[in-house]
Amino acid sequence: MKTRNLSTRLASINPVSILLYGLIVWFVIAFLIYPNLNIYGEIFFKDGQFTLEAAEKLLSSERAMRSLYNSFILAFSLIITVNVVGITLVLISEYFEIKGAKILRLGYFTTLIYSGVVLVSGYKFVYGEEGFMTKLLVYLFPSFDATWFHGYWAVLFVMTFACTSNHFLFLSNAIRKIDFQTVEAARNMGASTWYILRRVVLPVLKPTIYALTILTFLTGLAATSAPLILGGKEFQTITPMILTFSRSMTSRDLAALLALILGVATLVLLTIMIRFERKGNFMSVSKVKSELVKQKIRSKFGNIAAHILAYGLFVLYIVPVVLIIIFSFTDAASISTATLNLNSFTLNNYIQVFSSMSAFKPYLVSILYAAAASVIVVALALAASRILHRYKNKWALALEYAMLIPWILPSTLIAVGLIVTFNTPKLIIGNTVLVGTVWMLLIAYVIIHIPFTLRMVKASFFSLDSNLEDAARNLGAKPFYTFRKVLLPIILPSTLAVLALNFNGILADYDVTVFLYHPVYQPLGVVIKNSTDAQALADTKALTLVYSVILMIMSSVTLYFVYGRNSRS
Amino acid sequence: MRKLSMALLLIMCVIVSACGGGNNASSTNGGPSESGAPAGTPAASDSSTTEPVKNEKLIVYTNANSDGRGEWLIEKAKGAGFDIEIVGAGGADLTNRLIAEKNNPIADVVYGLNNMLYENLKKEDVLAKFVPSWAGDVEQGLNDPEGYYHGLVKQAILLGYNPNEFTADTAPKDWTDLYKNNAYKGKYEAPTLLGQNTPRLVVAGILTRFQDPNGDLGISDEGWNEIQQLYDNGVGAVEGEDFYANLASGKTPLGALVSGTLQQKEEQYNVKAGIVSPEIGVPMVVEHAAIINGTKKQATAERFVEWLGSSEVQGDFAAEFNAMPANTKAVEQANESVKELYNSLKPQDFDWAFIADNMDLWAEKIELEIMP
Repeated sequence: MKTRNLSTRLASINPVSILLYGLIVWFVIAFLIYPNLNIYGEIFFKDGQFTLEAAEKLLSSERAMRSLYNSFILAFSLIITVNVVGITLVLISEYFEIKGAKILRLGYFTTLIYSGVVLVSGYKFVYGEEGFMTKLLVYLFPSFDATWFHGYWAVLFVMTFACTSNHFLFLSNAIRKIDFQTVEAARNMGASTWYILRRVVLPVLKPTIYALTILTFLTGLAATSAPLILGGKEFQTITPMILTFSRSMTSRDLAALLALILGVATLVLLTIMIRFERKGNFMSVSKVKSELVKQKIRSKFGNIAAHILAYGLFVLYIVPVVLIIIFSFTDAASISTATLNLNSFTLNNYIQVFSSMSAFKPYLVSILYAAAASVIVVALALAASRILHRYKNKWALALEYAMLIPWILPSTLIAVGLIVTFNTPKLIIGNTVLVGTVWMLLIAYVIIHIPFTLRMVKASFFSLDSNLEDAARNLGAKPFYTFRKVLLPIILPSTLAVLALNFNGILADYDVTVFLYHPVYQPLGVVIKNSTDAQALADTKALTLVYSVILMIMSSVTLYFVYGRNSRS
Repeated sequence: MRKLSMALLLIMCVIVSACGGGNNASSTNGGPSESGAPAGTPAASDSSTTEPVKNEKLIVYTNANSDGRGEWLIEKAKGAGFDIEIVGAGGADLTNRLIAEKNNPIADVVYGLNNMLYENLKKEDVLAKFVPSWAGDVEQGLNDPEGYYHGLVKQAILLGYNPNEFTADTAPKDWTDLYKNNAYKGKYEAPTLLGQNTPRLVVAGILTRFQDPNGDLGISDEGWNEIQQLYDNGVGAVEGEDFYANLASGKTPLGALVSGTLQQKEEQYNVKAGIVSPEIGVPMVVEHAAIINGTKKQATAERFVEWLGSSEVQGDFAAEFNAMPANTKAVEQANESVKELYNSLKPQDFDWAFIADNMDLWAEKIELEIMP
């Protein structure tokens, strides 16, 4: 970067943005760097001495090494399978003319509204030992092994379909920005469908695909429920071990070290992607408003095949959700044997969940926290992305990496780090004690969601055409005016999608919440865990599904209000 | 753009002022720990002398508030003049939270955790010594001999079997039979989910039989060998599955059950599990009550613990929630079936301090070296 250029740019920054940048730097130092380094210090230098004992323990454990290996295998496999399925979904619903695309979209959207153990149990209702598909297969082929659905392929299958939600949200946004005139021109020149996809459509999607690849890799490394439930003895991954260790005082060093390994791997991949991003020239975004017209598949055979694929995927996506909703009206015995019997249908589960007025308070608490945190995170990520987009120097790079710190620690340890750091007055936060205030949990939610948010917001920033900005500036627009009137409308759909995703993620969080929540304001995640815990007396199986259905409804409503209406217009 | 950046600024300012707000609250309340009460709640009186009339709001941590038990206690306490807020969470999480907060505790009282976790808390200086007047009524050997925590409710970790697959004669006689007798191999659930308490206690129940000061982590090679066999011959537990469902379906007809949940599970799955009473006894965990070291409401906390463990409260609780009180004077009010079950069980002799010192390390070793 030329110094003259830089200095003129610095001069053009107004006081408000200097203050804004200052606040970001303060936030990064106070909440991202300080507490997290503190917990690392606490863990690895316990008696003032650095020890490699944790590394030795892990290296000598065959199980830990195998699990770590499996995690990487899964992560790399998912990069391929999720990208293939994700891109296919987006092409089906946005690019090609498929009959009933609106309904198909709803089906593909379902992974956005549920996740974790419940999602995997949904798939188990279909493919598990007692599942409907398994029963059908056993009926057709009596020698069929009913316990077939476990191990690497089962985990990969479920996660491939479950992890396309981000693809579906963000790639759909990206594909709508394609300049349709280029597509038309290519077609007039005789380019085939495949050639247009490869040379016109794909380049526009690249920044988003890079960002999604990182997220998919991370999701693969962090896989918990699917390997735990479906992995069986032969395919266990490392994250469940990290979770167990991070909850035990004496084994925290192992958890932190393992998380560090996963985090560094992610950062390496990220660095490669950032290099791609900088090399790339992503300017085929539509400058003139010519909306993408859905493409008809010209070959008859291809068209039929595409429709079969589209509806096949739809069934695959929708069946587990439908079964979860149905089974939430039954009881533990029906759920565990996956049998439906008219006599076992009941409304009691729902009545139990909403039996008293006090039952509604946790919903309110969680909604407020989720709303506040997701807005703050997006604001921070927007400001940071703006900096990263405008300044490409080492400070910007340092800022970017600092904001990814939460990726190298399990969330439990981030929470513990916050408590250990802020339970005595600290100068950096004005000599106050944060532990025990309602703000603690809000800050933690913000911290944990920064990396994901930054990745996605930044990706949409980098698919911006800088000509637009220059044009606005040449016409005399001030930088902030340009940002608001020209840039923001383009990145808004993705930003809102991130907002909605964060909101939904925070709603039922337990891992972080349990350490930091304020006694008077009990959030939903804690309530759910308490009433569905192994120790609880009620019909925990049924209640788990009931709460899942409630969360599905809340998530759907959020997605509709924040994102759905926009994307349809 | 000014609007947007102002909005961003405003949001940031909220965070900044939030910290300031926390500061105000804590400084007016006279101690940072009392910022546990939100700025809006009426601040407690400043005097820290022990006047009997003081009745500040207590922050009570517990892992035993599910199924309406928490609400029941809040109501009951209100009747006795106590104002309490409950922080409910799983036992291990709660323990970690208490230890992390120890320099500036939020909680005043913690109840419901088991001996092992209380030993950890004691070791980390989280508990204050307080012997309530009802301590003498608690069954012999259950309280902390050093006077930090005292028993409320008993829970037994039982070996249960599906009555359609085994009879009292063909069922195992002890945990060790599971892996020593070929008839049970592959038919029991191995305690693989070591993040939970019940599997940990099953492991402790076997390992403590092989205490050896020279052995690895205080356990002889023979003991580790036995644990290895326990895992090798069992079926791993699966996250999200209810063991009772697998016992009922016959998938894994043998495994660990918690006494307090038996009745409900029987009703939910229509199978009444058979119970093994090993000669050596069963792991008997006791939910205790204790006061947090550094609480600013010592007097109120003491009165609350006095009330909580009294035979009246524990008796009512036992009758309402089908529990087995540790307080001998309250046992009378427990339900017949519960009393009957406990009459047939003998508590296994546990050195809780030894177990608490080593359990995390045992779990770590099992996770790394022993589990398949």
